Amino acid sequence: MLGKLALAGIKNRRRDYLVLLAGLTMSAAIFYMFANLATNKAFVKANGVVGQSMLIFGFGAVLLILITIVYIMYANSFLLSMRQHDYGLFMMLGAKKRRIGQLVFLETLILGAVATAIGIVLGLLMSRFLVGFLLNALGLHLAHLESFYLPAIIATAVLYVGLFILASLFNLVKLTRTTVLKLLHTDEQANQPQVKPIRQMIAGIVGIVLLAAGYWALANIKAFQIAAIPFAIVTITLGTYLLFRATLLTIIRWLRQTKWAKKHLNGFLMGQLNFRVYNYTRMLTIVSLLFAMDLGAITVGSGYHRQLPMMADSLGSYTVAIHDKTAKEQQLISKLDVAHQATYTQKRQGKTVFYNAAEFKQQPYEFNEGEMTPKYEKKTAAQMKSTDLNSLDFLNLAVLGQNNLYAPKMLSATKFARQSGKTVPVTTIRVKNIEKDRTTLKKLNQLELARFPHASELTVGNYQSYELMLAFFGGLEFMGYFLGIAFLAMLASCLMFKILSGAPGDKRRYRMLYKVGVRHNLMRNGIAKEIGILFMIPGIMGVIDVLFGLQMFKPLMPKPMSPYLGIGSTFAIFIGLYAIYYLITLALYWQIVLPQAPAQAQAEHK
Amino acid sequence: MTSSNAVVDVHGLEKTYGKVNERQYQALKGLNFQVASGEFVGIMGASGSGKTTLLNMLSTLDVPTKGDVIVNGHDVTKMRGNQLADFRAQEVGFIFQDFNLLESLTAEENIGLPLALKGTSSKIMDQAIHEVAETLSIADLLQKYPSELSGGQKQRVAAARAIVHHPSILMGDEPTGALDSTSARELLDLLTTINQEQHMSVLLVTHDPFSASFCQRILFIKDGLIGSEIRRGDQDRSAFYQQILNELGTFNE
Ligand SMILES: Nc1ncnc2c1ncn2[C@@H]1O[C@H](COP(=O)(O)OP(=O)(O)OP(=O)(O)O)[C@@H](O)[C@H]1O
Ligand SMILES: [Mg+2]
Repeated sequence: MLGKLALAGIKNRRRDYLVLLAGLTMSAAIFYMFANLATNKAFVKANGVVGQSMLIFGFGAVLLILITIVYIMYANSFLLSMRQHDYGLFMMLGAKKRRIGQLVFLETLILGAVATAIGIVLGLLMSRFLVGFLLNALGLHLAHLESFYLPAIIATAVLYVGLFILASLFNLVKLTRTTVLKLLHTDEQANQPQVKPIRQMIAGIVGIVLLAAGYWALANIKAFQIAAIPFAIVTITLGTYLLFRATLLTIIRWLRQTKWAKKHLNGFLMGQLNFRVYNYTRMLTIVSLLFAMDLGAITVGSGYHRQLPMMADSLGSYTVAIHDKTAKEQQLISKLDVAHQATYTQKRQGKTVFYNAAEFKQQPYEFNEGEMTPKYEKKTAAQMKSTDLNSLDFLNLAVLGQNNLYAPKMLSATKFARQSGKTVPVTTIRVKNIEKDRTTLKKLNQLELARFPHASELTVGNYQSYELMLAFFGGLEFMGYFLGIAFLAMLASCLMFKILSGAPGDKRRYRMLYKVGVRHNLMRNGIAKEIGILFMIPGIMGVIDVLFGLQMFKPLMPKPMSPYLGIGSTFAIFIGLYAIYYLITLALYWQIVLPQAPAQAQAEHK
Repeated sequence: MTSSNAVVDVHGLEKTYGKVNERQYQALKGLNFQVASGEFVGIMGASGSGKTTLLNMLSTLDVPTKGDVIVNGHDVTKMRGNQLADFRAQEVGFIFQDFNLLESLTAEENIGLPLALKGTSSKIMDQAIHEVAETLSIADLLQKYPSELSGGQKQRVAAARAIVHHPSILMGDEPTGALDSTSARELLDLLTTINQEQHMSVLLVTHDPFSASFCQRILFIKDGLIGSEIRRGDQDRSAFYQQILNELGTFNE
């Protein structure tokens, strides 16, 4: 009987349950995708530097498990907020606590098991399509990537079912310990936080000091080495928490005293925030930190990606060098956005390659003299020194075999004409943007490979270096993006659930406002502001954390590369995704909370 | 029969619950009555007779199926959207059985809400709040939150919120329902004071004869129609109370 009643309660709120189930399913799916990548040793080994990527995968796994725990905690509190009134009522009507406990336990566990099962299936599908899509977008190829991997399925199932058993136990204890009266009236209890000015000020100052210490440690990571990271995590967490505690309430209190608060719904908004922010401090701290780590991961990932072409360009003076180009190759070359192109005639004799100095007078060779950024210098044969002739770049234009290069020699036009040997014209091409011309360059490279079956006889240009680096950094970069997007999805849903679990209480309050005569759109805007502020607080704090945190990567990226390069677009994408979560939360909130105006029955009758 | 000084004029009011192709229930079957400006009117009737339904129509929380409701010259049934909200905010003061106070706001902020919605300047707002707080003897409670107030105090705060913007009519749906007898009596005395000193019209729904005895006129609803009506006239309250009891006796037969 009680079971039936409980089921009826769930049916009445099936939309809320769908949201919850969808969120948990997504989280399980994301975890599966990650576990699939991280536990697949063959994949990890085949991609990138083994030691480093193992470390990064391990770091990612810890973060992901942490956020999963937090996530399930908040999803669970949302579940509890939906159910406690019903269960309180059953208890008041005389249902035994033990029986209620069983129901709660079962309900949580069933929900969790269903979410895990669907999540794994979804994860399988996503691994198949989404990961492929992401790789494609990044222009990466990762070996040994399979969507179905049993150890990953087991890992996901064990973690999730384990967490849900814990959550069920937690709910069981919580519901059976709380008095019936409290369960029935949780919505109405609004604890007004006490403000103690001196304590708050001290907390605020300590918070700022801790934050500063954390940022400083990150900026000086060279001096502190790896110890800077745990130190910064602890100090920044504590600092953010204290700062939130001290300032948010004070700001809200202060705003409430102003004239502004006495207009329209502003006072109500501040009242709402006042007791929400207090209860949300821990939550907001966690979200702001995860937001920061997440944004950091994506920024660094995209930073590497953006800087690879630059790194490649700094390695040599030409993107590709083509020997004895064919008509087909010429066609491809004409499609390139060329910065510099020249063709020289080689005569290969013995172990020497001869060049015609006159050709270099006509089209001087451009040497790349830059260290980290390319800096080109035009040189004719007369201007070339022996170091120039023996620069790897130039030597590479004539490859004899593995680790074996022709020795270059300049001849005057007349001498060159008389020189015997195999004549090979070589065309050096430098494109403006390797990344943009990558597909054409790839085709060119393939044609060359087909013509010269011994790859070791090929000239290596910046394009080939670029491809090597892509493969090298690919794993790293992919993790950055993958973790970034996965985290964002989960942390934003954490915030979403936390906010949504306040919705049942707000429903009553907005119903009251409706009765008092508050316009519909005023309530809509009020809700949009309230939730907007709750999203913004951790967002802003997170951005600040990242701006400081990126200092940490400065030593890893020699100038002119910089972790701050082009972060604008990364931030924009990230904030866009975050905003989408805000809009989803808002839409759900509106649906749950806004009172429906009575149907205009009269119109039909008249 | 519309009198020019009527603050409420209800004509042929019908309300049917349920959609056309669902199970329907007619709660009001063609009600006619008026409330004169400055009058203190009570509405009584058995449980389920349609009192709350009627009040919801008057305060635009629900829409009639048929008939006219004119409040302070506004035809309520013709209003839409924001007009309805503004009407509730400006013309009606409402006291609910369950107080309907926002627990995230202090008493002062709760009382000021109708003025804030109107966009009243904060100076005038403070003045109005303190005036009404003085009248209702809650001046020392203004900084408290609803959770720190007793039931009677809460209801006085709610009453203050209902009258702070000088609505044309004050409506109460069993406002004493959740109060003990002392608090109930205090509230009714206050309503009488407000009615007499500020000439505010009051419409009080109750099934408690004692509460009803504070009214000048009482309408009895039965089966969705006005069954009968009695006036206090010059009688004192206890005599009127007796008359109500007698009327209820015959009315319920
Ligand atoms: N939303 C609704 N849908 C369907 N029927 C309703 C609805 N609201 C009220 N009713 C019915 O209309 C009738 C009148 O209800 P109303 O709430 O107006 O009674 P009341 O006089 O206020 O009673 P009480 O003294 O118990 O508060 C009742 O029979 C009730 O069942
Ligand atoms: Mg009623």
